[in-house]
Amino acid sequence: MVSSPLNVNVGNVSLKSPLILASGTCNFGRELAEYYDLSILGGISSKGLTIKPRAGNPGVRVAECDSGMLNSVGLQNPGVHYFIENDLDFMKQSGAGVIVNVAGHSFEDYIDMVTTLDPHKDKIDALEINLSCPNVKAGCMTIGSDPEAIKAITAKLRNLTDLPLWIKLTPNVTDIKATALAAQEGGADAVVLINTLMGMRIDIRTRRPVLTNNTGGYSGPAVKPVAIRMVAECSQVLDIPIVGCGGISDYKDVIEFMIAGASAVEIGTACLIHPALPVKITEDLDKYCSDNNIELKELTGTLQRW
Amino acid sequence: MDLKKEYRIKLVSKEFLNSDTCYLGFECPDIANTAVPGQFVNISAGTVFLKRPFGIASTDKEKGIFYIGVKVVGKGTSEISLFGIGTEVDCLGPLGNGFDFEDYDNVILTGGGTGVFPINFAYETLTAAGKNVTVCEGFRNASQVILNKPSYILTTDCGDCGIKGTVIAGLDTIDITDPSKTIVCCVGPIPMMKAVNAWASGKELKCLVSMEQRMACGAGICLCCTVKVKDDGPDGYKNVRCCKDGPVFDGKEVVW
Repeated sequence: MVSSPLNVNVGNVSLKSPLILASGTCNFGRELAEYYDLSILGGISSKGLTIKPRAGNPGVRVAECDSGMLNSVGLQNPGVHYFIENDLDFMKQSGAGVIVNVAGHSFEDYIDMVTTLDPHKDKIDALEINLSCPNVKAGCMTIGSDPEAIKAITAKLRNLTDLPLWIKLTPNVTDIKATALAAQEGGADAVVLINTLMGMRIDIRTRRPVLTNNTGGYSGPAVKPVAIRMVAECSQVLDIPIVGCGGISDYKDVIEFMIAGASAVEIGTACLIHPALPVKITEDLDKYCSDNNIELKELTGTLQRW
Repeated sequence: MDLKKEYRIKLVSKEFLNSDTCYLGFECPDIANTAVPGQFVNISAGTVFLKRPFGIASTDKEKGIFYIGVKVVGKGTSEISLFGIGTEVDCLGPLGNGFDFEDYDNVILTGGGTGVFPINFAYETLTAAGKNVTVCEGFRNASQVILNKPSYILTTDCGDCGIKGTVIAGLDTIDITDPSKTIVCCVGPIPMMKAVNAWASGKELKCLVSMEQRMACGAGICLCCTVKVKDDGPDGYKNVRCCKDGPVFDGKEVVW
């Protein structure tokens, strides 16, 4: 990896840039490679994968909101075996760090997933354990709302692989510090904060929810202050690194997350509107580092509280 | 392969076709030169969060202009309809797969509502290529009729102009001489496309439909705009992306 002021580390995972494409907003990268060279990225976090293929939720899956959107895709994915056969090599060859997002309905599902992925560790930089998707009926957020369950599942997965385990947590909890600490105690290498906020929109003419799933996950610039607050809170109590995520739209947002305590960040919804946005953010981060004679990683956790 | 771009496009022409629908021309040589009928663009719409998708209605390659039709149905389309000449906005395109007419001599284009815009682009392209084209368009009533040409078969639900009834009543007037060389392409509301697909199937004609679904990215990455198509797997169907795998699908593949 070429040395650059944009280089960061998430634990022992070295990334050329703090910018990671967030799971669920980039598929496996192939479509975005039509717009720009993915090798500028720190990483790509795959679409959330399950052991068996999932068709996802029926009907309307997106509802626009002020400064964001709700989605209820419901983890549509081709299944981990298809992914390994057809997409993993593409991700590896893209030149970006490979983060595989792992989802499931039960402890057993997560165990199966990690056991299936571990033999391919030479192509994977980290496993992002999705304990936070709000759009499926079991697993994910159900496990991710309970600190004891988070600690237990993380500990089980820790025993199955040497791959870095990043636990992606839900903001739909009373105390994010409790769930983040549970992940740390279970042996996580990092936490990813935050997944989407659960929300609803209603069509006032029909009095029905816009989303056929009734509820969905809220993402976009509106959630950024919530994410920043959670990163800042967790940064005070955690020893493991944080990957910040939520509403990032420009380089200043990246810097804000890093000051709050993030070692790297994930960008998602903004890329649905401007697919090549990471190119612009990367250029702007380069300029920021040059103008301020600073390396980005120096920013992590430099928040000066009142 | 050249990388796709997000363009900054400029509004250069605008006319209202009726009380709630306008026809806009945007300068963007790359899109004007490469778009094919059935493809769409995703355009930033003023203050709303997401871009809005519009089927391409025509292109002027010499001037580097492409055209879209916008029917005002909400805040985003309202803001776009109020753009002044010279307004610059972000745009992705051309997106999606488009119609494939290659193997057919006779093309029946049919549809209604804002579906008449992509039909217009297909008509212009096919007639320039010397294909035998028949167009049948349906509207609710005479005040809704837009982009209609004298040679088109016209239907209205209330019968205040053209044939009274749906597009099926118009399609029934067409004399099909060589089904193996004839293809039907439909762009319109889902019930219309479903009915046209059934009509075409009854006559053993291939039928392409241009599906519509609430869309976020338009680039195939968010999986929000899915369409159910038949599949050999255990579910009997799979969800595919309207924006990337479509919007044009073989009507017999769609789970209606």
